Amino acid sequence: MANFNIDAKQDMTYDAIVIGSGISGGWAAKELCEKGLKTLVLERGRIVEHVTDYPTMTLDPWDTELRGSLTPEQKAKHPKGIRSGFIGANNEHFHANDVENPYTEVKPFLWVRAHQMGGRSLLWGKQCYRWSDLDFEANLKDGHGVDWPIRYNDLAPWYTHVEKFAGISGEALGLPQLPDSHFLPPMELNCVEKHVKERIEKEYNGRNMIIGRVAHLTEPINGRGKCQFRNRCDRGCPYGAYFSSNAVTLPAANATGNLTIRPFSIAQSIIYDDESGKATGVRIIDSETGEFMEYHAKIIFCNASTLSSTQILMNSTSDRHPNGLGNASGELGHNLMDHTYRVGAMGKVPGFEDQYYKGRRPNGIYIPRYYNLDEQTKTDNFVRGFGFQGSGGRAGWGAGSNQENFGADFKDGLMKPGPWEFFITGFAECLPNHENKVYLNKEVLDKWGQPTLSIDAEWGENELAMNKQIRKDAKEMLERAGLQDITDFDNEHEMGYGIHEMGTARMGRDPKTSVLNGNNQVHGANNVFVTDGACMTSSSCVNPSLTYMALTARAANFAVSELKKNNL
Amino acid sequence: MNRRNALRRTALLAGSAVAAPTLLSLLQSCKEQKRVDWVPQFLNQEQAVFVSSFVDTILPKTETPGALDVKVDIFMDLMYAKTYDENGQKYVVEEIDKFNANCKDEYGDVFANLSTEDKTAVLKKAEAETAKFNPGVWGTAVGEQKPVGFYRQLKSMALWAYFSSEEVGKNILSYDPIPGAYLGCIPLSDVGNTWSL
Repeated sequence: MANFNIDAKQDMTYDAIVIGSGISGGWAAKELCEKGLKTLVLERGRIVEHVTDYPTMTLDPWDTELRGSLTPEQKAKHPKGIRSGFIGANNEHFHANDVENPYTEVKPFLWVRAHQMGGRSLLWGKQCYRWSDLDFEANLKDGHGVDWPIRYNDLAPWYTHVEKFAGISGEALGLPQLPDSHFLPPMELNCVEKHVKERIEKEYNGRNMIIGRVAHLTEPINGRGKCQFRNRCDRGCPYGAYFSSNAVTLPAANATGNLTIRPFSIAQSIIYDDESGKATGVRIIDSETGEFMEYHAKIIFCNASTLSSTQILMNSTSDRHPNGLGNASGELGHNLMDHTYRVGAMGKVPGFEDQYYKGRRPNGIYIPRYYNLDEQTKTDNFVRGFGFQGSGGRAGWGAGSNQENFGADFKDGLMKPGPWEFFITGFAECLPNHENKVYLNKEVLDKWGQPTLSIDAEWGENELAMNKQIRKDAKEMLERAGLQDITDFDNEHEMGYGIHEMGTARMGRDPKTSVLNGNNQVHGANNVFVTDGACMTSSSCVNPSLTYMALTARAANFAVSELKKNNL
Repeated sequence: MNRRNALRRTALLAGSAVAAPTLLSLLQSCKEQKRVDWVPQFLNQEQAVFVSSFVDTILPKTETPGALDVKVDIFMDLMYAKTYDENGQKYVVEEIDKFNANCKDEYGDVFANLSTEDKTAVLKKAEAETAKFNPGVWGTAVGEQKPVGFYRQLKSMALWAYFSSEEVGKNILSYDPIPGAYLGCIPLSDVGNTWSL
């Protein structure tokens, strides 16, 4: 047989393949490259170079013809994502095309995607909180879902590891339910936030309000500049001040000389060898040519984002894994979670009219969970808990739309800042529920002829009970803090709005009930690791991305040490 | 007399000065229809005259530029042309025509040709009759938003077009594109007007 394929095969063989270049994929690439592995990152979208590919980063409204408005043609590309309220002309180029990438909402579900190098790390909210043993032990204690195979202590050094490199600003509080990070100096609260904080902490024993903990540099590190408080993060940050794969992890990976990024590469499936019981590579579709190609490696990190990673595992069928890679348990695609969002209260804060602030702070306040921490804070209304995020600021000219006024005085009055306003919204933990699921839909194909996902998930009783409590507590807190004209609200919304989708390939102790083990290895395919949101066994009520980073660094370290021992 | 009252009086005087030619054009019936001195991309002449007159009434020239000085009307026509879909465009045209028809029914002429007093009366009525925007959090309105109706949409768009213009954004409001730091509590007098960004 001719061996004409050998050179090509060599070109297509690496030590490691990472699928996806978002928050967790970037970390996988960095850690694997730094440990000496020739690493191929498969990115389904285009290359986005730090700074040079941020076309809108310095534009003021008047710098573009339509001042940031979308045309009907632009809107038509995002019939689903536009529901989030986060797509504008200044960041539209970082949002995936919903038409080319359809999904089916068996029940309403918002799936926000970003198909380019860096993925949603160019768009995320950057709130970073460590989880605690309250979170890692919750499933075991109340019986919802399966037990996490790890505890806080397993992850703590890895939190430190990623925090030191990513740069997390915040204030240490010493709370057991919200462990402190390795912090850069915190951002400042404004005078109304300081006032509300004082009132809430005085009125409620055990409730705290702090500045948000965020992946924004408040001091330069590793050649990255500090935040300039422009709050144009979703256009790409020219200073590299917030954490993105493009500015932080991928450049570090690249500096080793071990990184190759292949753009326009849709990971179709992971290739599995029944004989060796290992994955041997990844089958991709070149999104521009439609061509199928195969890349090979000793280890594979699947970091395509929660639902896309699960979709790839589902596409990866073999004799040994007929229902998808690692799906002997039947749990692949199940236990989809998100955080509730947009339930809360807002109001006006009297006084402080002669006070203002400078800078557009890309961060708000945080009120850590205060229910079900111990016997004293236990409630019978629901299990687990919620935290609040929000901020205070002064109304601007937009308030004029509602004023029953017009004309000369009206116009000149709008030049001055309006009343101080303050709002909080709850983020509640979502329980892992087997019935909340995704599955392959072979009736609806994407632009490349591939089956798409059907998403069938909804909030359960526990989440809805927490939303009720959130609304009640938010209103009461603002009342007791002395706010006026308080509006409490529950913008009943479907899952997905939190853009914190988690689960569908959960970690666990037992291969019969989980997809991954305690090192994020796929059961029955030990050289495949899933370390994005798909791996989450529960959802906590705090933002998850920092935990994905820590889990990824930990799994990469494990993978390389196992590789060296010839165990993979 | 404080400065604000002085301003108001000046505005009223300016208003009555405008009323004279309007009256004249009424007397001349429809022979000399008002026209805008720019070429609309989407609106017809009568609709463009309406938008110009509307935004000038909401945001007139004072010591600071008025809506027409920063071309709010021209920008709104552009928005209708380039960012509205067919249904949206149809709605705008129908609503402007309806607004003018109501003015004719009640005051005898289209909005642009009414006296300052009549324009004020028309807008006051529209204010009272139109629902308000719910407050918003993170890009969406809280609670169930009632349809705000054409008047408030128009007013809201006029405010946005005015305050996001380069002249107002850079020279009237306090402009600081790269603040460099966040200071949570400073005297308002150190800043002056609302931040433009």
